[in-house]
Amino acid sequence: MSTNTPAKPTLHAKPGQQGVDPRGPRFGAGITAVLLLTVIALGLLLPAGDGFVARATQPAFVLFAAITLLFAWGAFAGVQRHPYGRLFKAVVRPRLSAPTDLEDPVPPTFAQGVGFAITLAGVILHLVGVPYALVIAASLAFIAAFLNSVFAYCLGCQIYLLLVRAGLLGRTANTAV
Amino acid sequence: MNPVLVLVVLVGLVTLATALGFAWKSQQGRVHVAHGHTVIRAKDVPGMRRFGSGATLLQFSTEVCSPCKVTHRVLDGIAAENSSVTHVDLDVTRRPELAAQFHIMQTPTTLILDRRGVVRARIGGAPRIDSLRAELDRILVGA
Repeated sequence: MSTNTPAKPTLHAKPGQQGVDPRGPRFGAGITAVLLLTVIALGLLLPAGDGFVARATQPAFVLFAAITLLFAWGAFAGVQRHPYGRLFKAVVRPRLSAPTDLEDPVPPTFAQGVGFAITLAGVILHLVGVPYALVIAASLAFIAAFLNSVFAYCLGCQIYLLLVRAGLLGRTANTAV
Repeated sequence: MNPVLVLVVLVGLVTLATALGFAWKSQQGRVHVAHGHTVIRAKDVPGMRRFGSGATLLQFSTEVCSPCKVTHRVLDGIAAENSSVTHVDLDVTRRPELAAQFHIMQTPTTLILDRRGVVRARIGGAPRIDSLRAELDRILVGA
């Protein structure tokens, strides 16, 4: 009815919140997937020697620790402030057509948190000397990042409720009422 | 490890992830017709006063789900086309008891209810619109 109806109402983010181009997080997940494959290859080609120092300086581990920090960055600072998000905005997005839709940054930020939890577990288990912890954690994180990047797999859609129902997330919210 | 073996592992991982992706995609948004007789009462659905006179699209969403927002718009559009169809979107982010009550494992999940509140179909993931419309038409004709 109203003539003032915006042509693309879906492009508006929630008030006080800036939407993100959904291709940004998928671009970042693609880089992460390639880096994780590199970790797996390095981990298998150059296994760590004995001792904590050898494990902590293993090339695969150093790269994996960096990926873990990047997940932490995305999870705690938000996907918009993540380096890959900025790289996408500066280099990739200007070469693409305008996005058909903007998405809420909360779902990809949640996915970064899941990535952080998996990789952090790998870091700790590897440092205490659990065999293959690095390669297994990197493989799990790779599968999630690959699915996200190639298939637009939505981690939050699939596992958030499972984690909440298992009591691993959101307990306080539940008991508050 | 032998470099050839390492390459085999990498190719295997990519293949596995691709297979998982296709398997996941093939399930997403499919309309599963319910043959049971699960009845939902309007008073069990928060914020629901009465069901649509023809059918109700009962959607479950969370804040960490981007396809939920797209699904919300699409289902709203379908409900706007037909006054006998009502769309309700329940945010279960902080209400896991509701998710448990309706056996919701992923979001978006959409239940198609007939006018009596009988669950006639269940859709996990962003619905395939043509199948959803077809099922909705069947329910409306039967109603």
